[in-house]
Amino acid sequence: MSDRIVGLLTLVVALAFFASATQLEMPFFSDPLGPKLFPMLVSGVAMIAGTMMLLNPDAEPEWPVFSTFIKLFITSIILIIYAYTLKPFGFIFPTAVASAAISFQIKPNLTKSIIIGTCLSVILFLIFKFALGLGLFAFPKALIG
Amino acid sequence: MELFANLALGFSVALSPNTLMLAVVGCILGTIIGALPGLGPSNGVAILIPLSFSLGLDATAALVLMTSVYYGAMYGGRISSILLNIPGDEPAMMTTLDGYPMAKKGQAGNALVLSGVASFVGAFLATIGLMLLAPILARVAFLFGPAEYFALYLLAFCTLGGLGSKNQAKAALSVCLGLGISMIGVDKSTGLTRFTGDNLHLYDGIDFLVAIVGLFAVSEVFIFIESHGKNSSIGVKLEKVTIPFKMIYQTKWTMLRSSIIGFIAGVLPGAGASLGSFLAYMSEKSLAKDKEKFGTGDPRGIAAPEAGNNSAAGGALVPMLTLGVPGSGTTAVLLALLMTLNITPGPLLFTERPEVVWGLIASLLIANIVLLILNVPLVKVFSRVLQVPAAILLPGVTMISFVGIYSLSGSYFDLLLMILFGIVGFFLRKMDIPTVPVILGILLGSHMEVSLRRAMVLSDGDFTYLFSSPISIGLWVAAIIGFIVPIFLRRLLTISK
Amino acid sequence: MRLFSKIVVATLLSTGFVGQTMAAECIAPANPGGGWDFTCRSITKIMSDIDAYDGSIQVTNMAGGGGGLAFTHVVNERNTDDDLIVAASTATATRLAQNAYSGMTADQVRFLGAIGADPGVIVVAKDSPYQNLNELLDAVIADPSKHAFAGGSAAGGYDHLKVLMALKRKGFTDIKKVKYIGVDGDADAITQTIGGFTAAMTGDISGVIGFIKSGDVRVLASFTDERIPGFESIPTAKEQGIDVVAVNWRGLYTPKGASDASYKKWTEALRQVGSSAEWKQAMMANGLAPFNKVGPDFQNYVDGVIAEVREMSLELGVMK
Repeated sequence: MSDRIVGLLTLVVALAFFASATQLEMPFFSDPLGPKLFPMLVSGVAMIAGTMMLLNPDAEPEWPVFSTFIKLFITSIILIIYAYTLKPFGFIFPTAVASAAISFQIKPNLTKSIIIGTCLSVILFLIFKFALGLGLFAFPKALIG
Repeated sequence: MELFANLALGFSVALSPNTLMLAVVGCILGTIIGALPGLGPSNGVAILIPLSFSLGLDATAALVLMTSVYYGAMYGGRISSILLNIPGDEPAMMTTLDGYPMAKKGQAGNALVLSGVASFVGAFLATIGLMLLAPILARVAFLFGPAEYFALYLLAFCTLGGLGSKNQAKAALSVCLGLGISMIGVDKSTGLTRFTGDNLHLYDGIDFLVAIVGLFAVSEVFIFIESHGKNSSIGVKLEKVTIPFKMIYQTKWTMLRSSIIGFIAGVLPGAGASLGSFLAYMSEKSLAKDKEKFGTGDPRGIAAPEAGNNSAAGGALVPMLTLGVPGSGTTAVLLALLMTLNITPGPLLFTERPEVVWGLIASLLIANIVLLILNVPLVKVFSRVLQVPAAILLPGVTMISFVGIYSLSGSYFDLLLMILFGIVGFFLRKMDIPTVPVILGILLGSHMEVSLRRAMVLSDGDFTYLFSSPISIGLWVAAIIGFIVPIFLRRLLTISK
Repeated sequence: MRLFSKIVVATLLSTGFVGQTMAAECIAPANPGGGWDFTCRSITKIMSDIDAYDGSIQVTNMAGGGGGLAFTHVVNERNTDDDLIVAASTATATRLAQNAYSGMTADQVRFLGAIGADPGVIVVAKDSPYQNLNELLDAVIADPSKHAFAGGSAAGGYDHLKVLMALKRKGFTDIKKVKYIGVDGDADAITQTIGGFTAAMTGDISGVIGFIKSGDVRVLASFTDERIPGFESIPTAKEQGIDVVAVNWRGLYTPKGASDASYKKWTEALRQVGSSAEWKQAMMANGLAPFNKVGPDFQNYVDGVIAEVREMSLELGVMK
């Protein structure tokens, strides 16, 4: 079933890609193939692959139970929030929170997770900032001027 | 005899206590940078360029430091590939295929030693090749026009048919995903943007580092959480580390062949080391009688890509030094370093600045030997990583990935993309859709399209132009006989059975 | 791993590699290895070598949008940053002129100055039948389909425009017929030309110096007012009756909202670099010709270039 769904999804996406490729403008100068042909070829191959998956699905993979999916969903949300906060809040604080949260997902022990998060963020900051010289800021820029 | 005189000149420049120390520092730094996902040889060298300035190094010393970092990173990339299934950088991607299964069996030590030796063989042979053949090989680049490059990339994609997955449709789907992604951004031939939705962040396309870190590192975290670490190498009981002489001996021809393939791929400006390791792995697999062993922790599957990518790294120095054409991201950075040091690469560099060229070659040899000496005893230290509790190791890997990607452009957008690739990677892996072809598609897709279109511009849309030189015909024949025909033969055989 | 980082941190601390916490920054709006990267790295290196600037300057690479990402970043987020410079070149001006930075305009930053320029050239392989620019252009006009140009910028970019401008001066306007392939940089373009896949290469002289010296190529013309110092045997396009001047200057801009004091401080530092022996040596080695416009002068010059490129692009149909 999963294979069929992905096959169908591939067909839809490839079709959209194809349609969007046909909208591309032709260039103003000599270029016999233009920017359209290659994307069209790729979506064509993708459509064939999608159809084959639709008709010839493999055995169903072992999907995790619902509660695990929730866990994965939470992890993704944590990572996304982390991506947005890394710049405005400086490195140390968001990193500590995010790594503590991931650590908690792996081994639910609150105290340990917080310790791990804090230590990781400080150690990584020191390595990246001073050993590798990346332009990171420890704290929000507003605080350090 | 001139060769020895030159080499002696090189060593007289490069061999002093000071530069030796720099080589050791560079090798250690490079190894760490290479092992960290997201930080590869190219941004590693770029990050460390200011170091060579702030230390006030002269040209030779700066070169010694940077080449040791370069080679160190090439060696280091394999460490996280083998231990965690996360390539430290893109050329180390192929090493995950057999290195990680071997680590899961508790043989991380063997895999690390073998790959270290293979890296040494590849890099060493490539340095010899650079020494003996560079001026001649430089002319090879003149023989490769758009049609020849197109045939080369086509060969690379044809070999994918033999990769892992039993289901050809899934491999094809995966390539198409990569090719589709590579089409995002400014179309180099026309200057028009494609598939960007007017998002400035997508204007230059999606960096393959974002894709590789997402598909491998971030998805690994998801997979770990999902399976509660059942299918991971973390915490696996390690066998005692010994030097696997038998394995090394058995793979001697693999290393030699792969070094040659890698070197050629490196000499041609294009995808460089990744193409080298990929072609080396695929051709070893197609030569083997027991193909099904590849992907389950076969020593040849480790020796081939490591010899291939390190040899390609050496080969990529040929067009950089003799033509000023950077064949890869890293050589582009080295080229920039040379230019800041007022050294202009080109056809005359070998005769005008012999002390630079031969100093560089000598420092490559030194870096290589230092790396071999450093790497083998350190295997024990590296494999200890697997004994770090997952609750510390995985958040650490995630954060390192974030910083690595963040350092590319300093924008949250790349981070979001990386997370998206992580989620997609999770589903691909659950459904047994291989992820390697996605990366290959992203790496080579735009090169392949651009070569085809350039060929068509030059020939006014005449497709016979694609088969008009001996080189391109040779590559087409290799692609068809070597990789397409076998697929159909296998089909026929299974049907007739 | 932990032990390692200790060693590394200790080594670096002992070698004094711990930058000041609030270092100034030079943004190279591309990946390491290109022209902008070179601008940032060499200029900041010389600034600290000759003590033209107090304190350290960190080079950051911010690739994206052909420089557009860095431009947007500076305008939106760093508009009042006194300690920031950004590498720019003719490509920056060309893209601003062609509206390629999604609506951003040149007056949203302050151009600081340029202290060197890479002269545009037209190059053929040594066995090419063409001896001067007119022979080549005449041949192109006679049969455009047989003569392709290779250049390091995308179609519609500055390298492409140079050829179209030259052809226009000869009265040829059917530019749709002109074949141009945009490859990855000048070195790649010259390799394709020596290999005989394209008739000529259009680019900057810095990328071909090695090949000029080795005799693999012949430079038909330089797009400069006068002959390039050090390459006096190369005739200019002007001498050959084709009035096109096109150089790729290497310069910097600063945020619009930065204080006048900081603008002055940076122009002073840049001037000092421009007149230093170290920079002259770097220019020689990299084939840059003298080009010195710093401060308000430069701002006027850039405005002029942008207006010119915009007019040309509209006229040639490169943009609508």
